[in-house]
Amino acid sequence: MARLAAKAVSKTYGATKALRRGDLEVEAGEVHVLIGSNGSGKSTLCKIVAGSVRPDNGELLFEGHPMVVSGPNAARKIGIGIFYQELSLAPHRTVAENILLSDLPGGVFVDRKALNTKAQRYIDLFKNVTGDNFHAGAIVETLRPDQRQLVEIMKALSSEAPILIFDEPTSALDRAQVDRFFEILRELKDDGRSIVFISHRMDEIFALGDRVTVIRDGETVATKRIAETDAAEVIRLMVGGDETLTAAEPHQPTAVAATAKTVLAVDALSGDGFGNVSFNVAAGEILGLGGLHGQGQSAVLRALFGATPPTSGTVLLNDKALASSSPRATINRGLAYISGDRRRDGVIAGRPILENVTPVHALKQRLSLATPSSLREKAKPALEALRTKFAGFSHPIGSLSGGNQQKIVIARWLIDRPDVLLLDDPTKGIDLQAKTDLFQLIRKLAAEGMAIVLYSSEDAELLGNADRILVFNGGSVTRELTGADRTPFNLYQAAYEAA
Amino acid sequence: MSTMDQTPRSRFSVIDIVKTPLVVAVALIVFLLFLGEYLSPGFASGQQILRLLIVAALMGIVAAGQNLVILGGREGIDLSVGGVVSLAAIIAGNLMAGENSGIVLAIVGCLAAGALVGLINGIGVTLLRIPPLVMTLGMLGVLQGLLVVIRNGIPSGRAAPGLSQFVTQPFLLGLPGIIWLWIVIGICMAFLLGRTMIGYRIYAIGSNEQAAFMAGMPVKTTRILLFVLSGMFAAVAGICLLGYSGSSFANVGEQYMLPSIIAVVFGGTPLSGGKGGYTGTMAGAILLTVLQSILTTINIDESGRQMVFGATLLLLMLFYGRGKALRA
Repeated sequence: MARLAAKAVSKTYGATKALRRGDLEVEAGEVHVLIGSNGSGKSTLCKIVAGSVRPDNGELLFEGHPMVVSGPNAARKIGIGIFYQELSLAPHRTVAENILLSDLPGGVFVDRKALNTKAQRYIDLFKNVTGDNFHAGAIVETLRPDQRQLVEIMKALSSEAPILIFDEPTSALDRAQVDRFFEILRELKDDGRSIVFISHRMDEIFALGDRVTVIRDGETVATKRIAETDAAEVIRLMVGGDETLTAAEPHQPTAVAATAKTVLAVDALSGDGFGNVSFNVAAGEILGLGGLHGQGQSAVLRALFGATPPTSGTVLLNDKALASSSPRATINRGLAYISGDRRRDGVIAGRPILENVTPVHALKQRLSLATPSSLREKAKPALEALRTKFAGFSHPIGSLSGGNQQKIVIARWLIDRPDVLLLDDPTKGIDLQAKTDLFQLIRKLAAEGMAIVLYSSEDAELLGNADRILVFNGGSVTRELTGADRTPFNLYQAAYEAA
Repeated sequence: MSTMDQTPRSRFSVIDIVKTPLVVAVALIVFLLFLGEYLSPGFASGQQILRLLIVAALMGIVAAGQNLVILGGREGIDLSVGGVVSLAAIIAGNLMAGENSGIVLAIVGCLAAGALVGLINGIGVTLLRIPPLVMTLGMLGVLQGLLVVIRNGIPSGRAAPGLSQFVTQPFLLGLPGIIWLWIVIGICMAFLLGRTMIGYRIYAIGSNEQAAFMAGMPVKTTRILLFVLSGMFAAVAGICLLGYSGSSFANVGEQYMLPSIIAVVFGGTPLSGGKGGYTGTMAGAILLTVLQSILTTINIDESGRQMVFGATLLLLMLFYGRGKALRA
């Protein structure tokens, strides 16, 4: 008998069917992976199981008995702990307080000593991989994103619940952190705990999972043993019938002719979080930036774009000096920057799709009037090229799934063709379908002569798309991989080399 | 497999429409007019309604600037509007000194003064990063002191007859010029917010300043512009107020600060900014004016009216003011 079962649960928000028919069975002592594209309903299913959302229909069984989960507290009592995709930390409190937030030791007054001792147990689990300045008394606000994510993980672990749900827990972590986290999960599994794991990363799914449940369009499609399936099959299940979209085919680097014109030449660029970075990008070339998370890749891209202007160094764009003083200045010169943090840098929440897709076009064309009909016509080709699904330009962008929101934000940059496209981990948290669509487009743009700089936290994306890869370590480039050297092994090795 | 032209789900819903701030405001206006007529026959007569509209126009013009500043987000609010209204009334009264020939100069002078106050507000808020609440409250204090110095306690300046006529006498189709002016401002605001890139920019900055910056929008310039416009609208209201009352008297503009904010919130623009528009604000201004008039009719004095207004704002915050978490 399954420890936890959701049978035919469904949930509708207004007119949106978030989940049509979700089925999930989790055994004791297994890591159960839940996978599906964004908007497919896996997060909703998790939230139903964790008690933060009530299903409209269907039933939940805990060890065979029907259970009514009336709220997060009830779920915790039953024995379900959850890690949420949206960080839910108290930024001004300490690491220890956050870890034990739902179960602070002491009565009316918090017992600080007990608190720190207890929290230390969870911090020690990640010994040596937490990075600098991470301790029980550190204020969460001062931590790096990956460290905050570790706190969130520790918080989930501290529930000591028999069933632990992790909704994309590794998006900000570096490889060493992920490895340690997986070791911990395996130990928990061996202790008989049940773990539900949501991830978009194939390598993680196969490294960790025992079984995988695939959700597509709000319905559970299949549950497979990991040992009896492979990535291609999982992707096929996720994508559905369309064979052409199944797997990301390995990329043969476009032989960028040696004569190709250098579009962007960066020389000895330094700034906040990186130093002395130099590289050239030719027309039609996709330059990859790789390495562990947070080694300066994003910082270089943001500096080039003028979001946080560099402190020294020179940049030539089409042989003319580029002053990266502000995004407005660099956009006018032909740069485009797509951030993976769409909520912060991209989405104009609450505004219609039309207003979200047109600002860059308006800037480049010096538009002062907004004529919706003509703007719609301008935006359509870019949205179509990305296979964006949306009902109408006047609908708020928030009505779309994460992947489609990101497509709207990306399309913003492509209405008027930029010379250089800077991609800063552009697929973070979007579904595989959207990733496939995006990379198809990126390669097409390169083939048409655009110079592209791609930072990705997923090695497969770099290996599959980049013609050259610069590996970053500690804020500078430590190695360049070209041609046949672009192997997972080399990339891994270069990333871990001491700087 | 583009699904761009997928039929949109029907978004028509009677409940949604009934809940829009504009509809609520208009319904309340009608209700209050009936209530006023019941309490005091003649309250809703044509002449009386026209008088109410003139008063509402004054409030509405101030609220136009307030609306823009609030739309721009980041806790945007302009508490100095009352001071600017008073200042403009004084400047205009002295520049025209009861002569029609001084009207143009008065208008130019007032607009310049309003713009200058707005510019200082805008610079303080953007470049010096002073919270708008603090910046504009401080500005209000400065303006109040300035008014005392200028006027030295004595009412001064007189409206030109042409101005008084424009505000109080029928101008076109039986409506006074100020109501036409308000209508024109309403149309301009709708155009600005809905059909210009500046409008898109205002909403974008109010909704997600960082994203607006990354898309190349001039965030600071735009925000300064909003404060400048707010100062100018308040100045226009000050001139009109002079025409309405004939001469400027002590702190004549003060009564507009709170109502201008309430009108904006009533009209469906949350204090968090990023959404809403001016049409609702116009309805909000009319509603507040009718409410004010009813309170006067049933002999509630100024302090009582202030309390009702303050409570109205707090009550409104419960319904519209708090920004709902957006799915992003």
